Amino acid sequence: MTERKYRDEINKLTFEQAIHQLKDIVSKIEQGEIPLQDSLDQYEKGMALIKHCRDILQKAEKRIEKISKEEPPESEKGREDAEPLLGG
Amino acid sequence: MGAAAYNGFRAMWLPLEGRSLEMFMQTQMQTRTKIYTVTQVNALIKEVLDTTLPAWITVKGEITDWKEHGSGHRYFCLKDEESVLPCAMWRTSFAKVKFKPANGLAVVVSGNIDLYVPQGRYKLIVEEMMPAGMGALQLAFEQMVRKLEAEGLFSDAHKKPLPKYPQRIGILTSESGAAVHDIADSVHNRWPCTRLYLYPVPVQGPGAAEAIAAAIADVNRRNEKLKLDVLIVGRGGGSLEDLWAFNEEVLARAICASRIPIISAVGHEVDVTVADLVADARASTPTKAGVVAVPNVEDVLSELVHQEKRLTGSMRARHDISCEYLRTVLASAVFRTPLLPVLNREQHLDDLAWDLGDAMRTIFIQTQKLMQDYREQVARIEPHRLLGRMMVELNELRSRSLAAVTRVLSGRELKITAGENRLAALNPRSVLNRGYSITTNKQTGQVVRTAADVRTDDLLVTELANDNLIESRVTTKIDKG
Repeated sequence: MTERKYRDEINKLTFEQAIHQLKDIVSKIEQGEIPLQDSLDQYEKGMALIKHCRDILQKAEKRIEKISKEEPPESEKGREDAEPLLGG
Repeated sequence: MGAAAYNGFRAMWLPLEGRSLEMFMQTQMQTRTKIYTVTQVNALIKEVLDTTLPAWITVKGEITDWKEHGSGHRYFCLKDEESVLPCAMWRTSFAKVKFKPANGLAVVVSGNIDLYVPQGRYKLIVEEMMPAGMGALQLAFEQMVRKLEAEGLFSDAHKKPLPKYPQRIGILTSESGAAVHDIADSVHNRWPCTRLYLYPVPVQGPGAAEAIAAAIADVNRRNEKLKLDVLIVGRGGGSLEDLWAFNEEVLARAICASRIPIISAVGHEVDVTVADLVADARASTPTKAGVVAVPNVEDVLSELVHQEKRLTGSMRARHDISCEYLRTVLASAVFRTPLLPVLNREQHLDDLAWDLGDAMRTIFIQTQKLMQDYREQVARIEPHRLLGRMMVELNELRSRSLAAVTRVLSGRELKITAGENRLAALNPRSVLNRGYSITTNKQTGQVVRTAADVRTDDLLVTELANDNLIESRVTTKIDKG
């Protein structure tokens, strides 16, 4: 039940966010900052986060896509040309 | 020695040029008497070089075999198509060189030829070094670095932190070069879960810098959709001229302006470009891009395992502590013997009952004893004997009183009989026995004493002895009275 509760929320997280949350949960449980019942919930969330991270890592993309050049819109084009160099 | 020795040398070697072997052998015999030490020979050569070569010589060549010694001195060779010239540059001279000499770099150097006697080797001792051919670019590079550095473009304040776990990486490089594969492999070997997006750009020639700068701006503008975590901008090794696009100001400013962190990966280890200086991080070559851009998946996996162990471990510990706490609570007297308070009171009650029983028994025993005492006292009194005595006395009194009464009664009886006799003599009816009678008027019931007591026709009753009665009627009254 609890895992299902967290799943949608967790699936939206980036790897970095997920591992950050995970570390947060681990240290909270380790320091006994949260009551037992909450820590059980947090434990399940932690395990779901670990699964999410593993899923990301196991997606071996190993491919290269090509970004095609996109002409900037006309309005920006003129400005682009005239854009002063930073601090120039 | 000096000139004489020099002439001797010349005499020794000149015969080889055009003269007969015989003549040469002859000359040999003449000079053979003189024996030189190695040092003398080297010193002789040094003397010759010092006196015959110009003291200041300028040489153009390409640097090769460049060595930087710990002492700060530099040792290298200059070469051209056919020949190699060993060179040394002392620390104090090298300190004045503003650019970074490296293998393959064409330079113009000035100094003097010197022979190092202990080894019999000569070197060009370089005092000045200037880039050759690329001198203008080099100068431009140095000027650019100084300018941008003064503006603070290379300062850490401009450096954006790299994402720790990039999922989408943009690569800005040539589609045809080897760099794109070097970069892709170096990233994917360490971190296979990332997606790479190649933005093809020219990396050398006129307009390359502008094209790369435009690409960086384009990607930044479209990053809402592209969602790139980091960009790698680079190319493979080449001449300073080939890499020049990465030293141009327009690219430097585009890199600085990028909101997406940028890693530069240009040329070989030794090549440092302006792009490297301004980028948020630098990979020394395209093949090192992965090390800079992404973590090692193995490390991250073991970190995950570590976190998992900590999580389950701490959870288990937490659970154990709670269980232990529960056990402690359950082991407390309240739960172990919940009836204890009741039992305690029961025991108290028992004690009281016991005390009460004791008290009752004591009272009972005391009472019994008291009764016993009384019984004994009573027994000592002997009432039956007392009663017996009293009975005897009583009997005696009764017989005495009986005798007395009998005596009195006997006297009284005698008197009564005498009286009776007298009384009987006085009874009117006893007169009757002697012939007297008593007449009574039946109407009035009065004894008839005189004639006046009766009227004619009255009925009279006359009583005689032995209760005989006669009724008679008055017929005549004779009153004489």
